[in-house]
Amino acid sequence: MHESCPRGFDQALLSGHLDGELTQAADQRVRLHLEECPACRALFDQIRSVKETAMSTQFNEPREEQWTERPAGPVSAATRFTGWFLAIVWALALSGYALWQVATGPEGLAVKLLVFGGLTGVVLLGISILMDRLGEARSDRYREVKK
Amino acid sequence: MALIEPPIPPAPPEPEEAVLLRAAFAGDAGAWEALLRRCRRTAYLFALQLTGDPDEALDAAQESLLRLFRHRGRFDPARPLRPWLLKIVRNTVADSRRRDAVRRRAAETVLAAGGGRSPEDPHGEAERQETRRMVWEALGELDAAAREILILREYHDLPYREIAEVLGIPVGTVMSRLHAARALMARHLRRRMKGVGHA
Repeated sequence: MHESCPRGFDQALLSGHLDGELTQAADQRVRLHLEECPACRALFDQIRSVKETAMSTQFNEPREEQWTERPAGPVSAATRFTGWFLAIVWALALSGYALWQVATGPEGLAVKLLVFGGLTGVVLLGISILMDRLGEARSDRYREVKK
Repeated sequence: MALIEPPIPPAPPEPEEAVLLRAAFAGDAGAWEALLRRCRRTAYLFALQLTGDPDEALDAAQESLLRLFRHRGRFDPARPLRPWLLKIVRNTVADSRRRDAVRRRAAETVLAAGGGRSPEDPHGEAERQETRRMVWEALGELDAAAREILILREYHDLPYREIAEVLGIPVGTVMSRLHAARALMARHLRRRMKGVGHA
């Protein structure tokens, strides 16, 4: 229903007509077509109704104090970045030290397997999350958006 | 034959906004504060409409206002501020979307009750509010490209020239892309209305 005009009319012009963006000549063409094409008239009525509904919509807005309650973006972002960076460095150093101790220590094979197996699992999970994120970033339609 | 009105020249800023812009760019801190205060509602609403999440929208609006102030040197005060602001909000939301999964909140959390305010016809108003909810939910089903162009036109009433500026596309592309989004929206709404027995 209304997928395309049975008379082959360019229906994009209906939007231009609704928004008052057409030249006088194109606008007149649309008016004449709407008089004789029930399919386009039905679609036009529908998109006009959506427009009117949207224009009458009101949204909940934040209270005045919410604008000042929030932490400043750049400061909290910098703090978070520093925190993550230090935590990752700490975790890597600690894991490396623990692995070295277990590998060179007197522990039996079972203990070594337990430690290495657990850490391998954590590393694999980390890699899989990283790969997912990279895949998302590649398919992100906003990736070319410039700031 | 040209079908749409030629896009140039850009509309100048509104008189009040132009005065504020001139004062702000002349270094008046009070004018900057007033300007940002004027911008924040538009920034918040656009971010809310893109994300569907009030908390994320407030974060994005605040971040956008910071960016607007930080990059003020790139702005030409002879041009209207709104397309530039909306472009910054769009970029800010896009950046946050890279980090977080899409999570639109329930319509009741986002839409103000009794949007049209007609106390003389409460039944009709309830029906209209239900239609607004349905339109909002159908909007959430669209892909990001269709959603943003519809938001800019239907909720912000931007002319095609400004939509092109915000989205970074030729003015000639706006009408066809907008119409494709509207047709898709109409299909979603027909399906929803059939689902609730309106058809």
